Amino acid sequence: MSRAIPLSYSLRSVFQRRTRALLTVVVMALVVLAVTVMLSLVSGIRRTLVATGEADNLIIIRKGATNDGSSMLPIEAYRAVAYFPGIASGADGEPLVSPEMVIQPFFYRPDGGRENVLVRGVRPVAFAVHRNVHIGKGRAPRSSSGEAAVGRAVAARYAVRLGGDVRFGRRVWKVVGILEAGGSSFESEVWVDVNDLWNDANRSIYNGLRVKVAPGSDPQVLVRRVAADPRWTLEAKPEIDYYREQADSANFLFRLTLALGLIMGIGASFGAMNTMFAAVKSRTAEIGTLRALGFSRRSILISFVTEALAIALAGFAVGVLMAIATTLGINALMKGVAINLMTFTTATVDLRVSATSALQVLLLATLLGLAGGFLPARHAARLSPVEALRRR
Amino acid sequence: MNYRTLVSRNFSRGRLRTVLTAASIMLSIFLACAVLTLPSGLAALVERVTSGSRVLVHNKAGLSYMMPYSYLQKVRAVPGVTAATSFSWFGGIYDEPKNLFPNFAIDADAVGDIWAEFQIDPQAIADFRRYRDGALVGYQTMRKFRWKIGDRVTLRSTIWPVDLDFRIVGVLPEPHGNPMWFLFSRTYMEEALRAKGLSADFAGMIWVRVDDPANVGTVMRRIDDLFRNSDAETASETEKSFFESFMSSLSGLSNVILAVGFLVVAAVVVITANTCSMAIRERAPEIAILKALGFRRFTILGLLLTETLTLALGSGVIGAVAAYGVLKLLAALGATGARPGLGPLSMFLVTPWHVLEGILLSLVVGVVAGVVPSWGAARKPVAEALREVF
Amino acid sequence: MIRLLNVSRHFQRGPDVVRALDHVTLTIPDGRFAALMGPSGSGKSTLLNLLSGIDRPDEGEVEVAGRRLTGLSEDELAAWRARHVGLVFQFYNLIPVLSARENVELPLLLTDLRGPERRRRAEVALEVVGLVQERFDQLPGTLSGGEQQRVAIARAIVTDPDLIVADEPTGDLDAQSADAVLALLSELNREFHKAIVLVTHDLRALRWVDEVHHLDKGRLLAGDEALRASETLEQALGTARRHAKVKP
Repeated sequence: MSRAIPLSYSLRSVFQRRTRALLTVVVMALVVLAVTVMLSLVSGIRRTLVATGEADNLIIIRKGATNDGSSMLPIEAYRAVAYFPGIASGADGEPLVSPEMVIQPFFYRPDGGRENVLVRGVRPVAFAVHRNVHIGKGRAPRSSSGEAAVGRAVAARYAVRLGGDVRFGRRVWKVVGILEAGGSSFESEVWVDVNDLWNDANRSIYNGLRVKVAPGSDPQVLVRRVAADPRWTLEAKPEIDYYREQADSANFLFRLTLALGLIMGIGASFGAMNTMFAAVKSRTAEIGTLRALGFSRRSILISFVTEALAIALAGFAVGVLMAIATTLGINALMKGVAINLMTFTTATVDLRVSATSALQVLLLATLLGLAGGFLPARHAARLSPVEALRRR
Repeated sequence: MNYRTLVSRNFSRGRLRTVLTAASIMLSIFLACAVLTLPSGLAALVERVTSGSRVLVHNKAGLSYMMPYSYLQKVRAVPGVTAATSFSWFGGIYDEPKNLFPNFAIDADAVGDIWAEFQIDPQAIADFRRYRDGALVGYQTMRKFRWKIGDRVTLRSTIWPVDLDFRIVGVLPEPHGNPMWFLFSRTYMEEALRAKGLSADFAGMIWVRVDDPANVGTVMRRIDDLFRNSDAETASETEKSFFESFMSSLSGLSNVILAVGFLVVAAVVVITANTCSMAIRERAPEIAILKALGFRRFTILGLLLTETLTLALGSGVIGAVAAYGVLKLLAALGATGARPGLGPLSMFLVTPWHVLEGILLSLVVGVVAGVVPSWGAARKPVAEALREVF
Repeated sequence: MIRLLNVSRHFQRGPDVVRALDHVTLTIPDGRFAALMGPSGSGKSTLLNLLSGIDRPDEGEVEVAGRRLTGLSEDELAAWRARHVGLVFQFYNLIPVLSARENVELPLLLTDLRGPERRRRAEVALEVVGLVQERFDQLPGTLSGGEQQRVAIARAIVTDPDLIVADEPTGDLDAQSADAVLALLSELNREFHKAIVLVTHDLRALRWVDEVHHLDKGRLLAGDEALRASETLEQALGTARRHAKVKP
């Protein structure tokens, strides 16, 4: 009959050598902090991009183009596609097809730095197709009036105000609205009337179309129809897939974070192992007593592993709290982190500690605790009671 | 037997603990070295590929705004300009969209002059001028797709409704040539566009070679003055400034990674301090006896710190050198195209200078981690030390 | 000569102040083999620390071999100890990672002597204490308790100090080894004229020492009290004393 060593013993023993335990908790917390912040950046990028795509929208661009900035679509193509079946209609009966021109003028940060920002020339139908994009404050730009609706992140990053002016391209524009889009990359864009943009860029083209699929229709029918059309080399893609492909930079960052977490984690578990071995050593007599009292090897093993886990979890708790504070701080002070999109434009990403990230880090911390605690625990379990009691 | 013996013998104690701590330090310095390369790595990259004599002319509003092709002639006439070429993004894809490499339409006659330091084979330059469909390709792109001079490749443009068929006539060679570029003649593209009824009267950018780097400022001003108040005002900038602004938006990300690197170092300081204090506590009796025998507290401090520093430095050297080796290896793999996914890792360019920084960092770790426990143990008056032990 | 004049030492133990030594005056002439005895907590180790320059009194004067110790700083005391005192403790004497010979060389690091000379002196000291040659290069862990104490004594004499101080040197030893250590100390005292002060519980020491000083609760016993203490001890010992004399 094997009794389990009470949990309270394990927990109290850990913090018996307070400094040592605390230092190990700090190490764990630092690892958790580092990995969580990186993961929040990754999930921030993914969220920003994936959130941009709407489930029932398609993007139509030139075949092979990776983004709507690097594509061109003839006007005849637009006119033809608009009447394909399977496309939703607006309140006025017109097809919900939004032809768009995209360009990347220079914007200047308050500190003088220069970045490319994505400016989208649209027709009013765009707001009906992009249902996730709202005018948060103000109103949509009127046709041929030199007005602009500025994304929320753009307004923050380049110090642009509603009601004020913004200079980009070859002219000054009036900011009449602030775009809000649930944190997606549209908030890093500026929308203007497409006619104004044609004038400014001296080019009258469309780069791509956004199409809303009719409810109940199979989007793949449209996709096939567009691909099969011999007149133009176009492809149609669900927006969600399109934006997921854009999240490439996030993948690289994710792999980097994994590598970082692994390396840091190994280092930290070595530190934990040190502490645990020392704990076992200083409690040799105690272990001998426990064994003599009849507690099995297994119970000793479990007890020490529990201690290691307790330290790891304490570190996790502290680290995650610090990470949340840090991400909030970065968002507030730096107004998010700027990343370069595949469109060669700058988007701002908010760091957010997601539930998934927290769970992933919890798993990491648990693994580290187990890794750090197992060998010392096994060593403790293997001590013979007689020897243990004999040693001073 | 001397002081050195005392220090070195102590490493045989608590071997496991020493090994574990050394391993932690090694790993952390490895990471720290990699991260330390970031700020200077980006700057070094810019320094490496830019020339002090090259200037980029583009539309003031943005790169994608483009300029009329006629600007090229006017720019060439500006005093101080020795050569100029248009440089227009073609956006061509070879096989898969994600294997995008930058391809540009340029003026074939100017390539050898504008990028003289690339050291392109003169035969290649001659062929490039001769063959309308000729292409000059950067060495990394050549390797990635296993192309050879003489191969024919087709690029499908994404921004223009044209596909173009090229013959590779030369390479932009290692080490000075741009590794990724694919350059071809503008005339060829113009023909194809005209056939589709599209105008080719544009230049995305114009690269200019200036006779003397000292004249760069003046030349830039002259060029911009030429086109002031026109429909397409220009903004000229040095090649260096162009690349720097390209990189500047990466600074936010770079800072996050730097901060993480700092955390890594902080963590290892804590680990080492923990180990140090455990080791010292274990040797309290011995330290007390040494003091009793007449060893000064300062000497004891020196002994203890030397041990910690030796451990930290030794591990740090291994970690830093490993960082150098491993990252160089990874970058080489990424460059050969064997594992293109590793390509971005080449921005972690570890130089011998970084190895040195990593080693110094490990020294700092040793001092910071060791000083508190060592100081505490050394400072204690001998009577008190003995009382605690016996 | 060792002279302690009206010496007091107290310690803070939590909220209480413990008087380890209370106005102790003691003189030990040159070349004597003296023992400090008394129950636990009587202050014998504290007294030993004071006269060996390890600790400083709160009140009173300490003078050893003509040198006034009371005014010296921690570092000055360390330097003085290195030159003038040899120390032997009950345990933890030897550094476990150094061999017997290397342990004996240790105090010589504080002198100007060079490597080969240090080595030679260490070997001489080890021969004096009677350690067999084969053991010179062994680590303390492989030596018996008695052998370890011999090595500790060798270390104590290697700098040719005026005074050897030993705090419970036989406390951890079996009867035979204890006797051997005491005999060795006695020999050092007689043949080499080393002054030795011993703190001990061990009644066997009475057979070897010249004089015994009794302490109780931080006070040095004198007159009748001292006599009674001696008698108690003698009774406990149960054999006639040969060398022990009691200072009245």
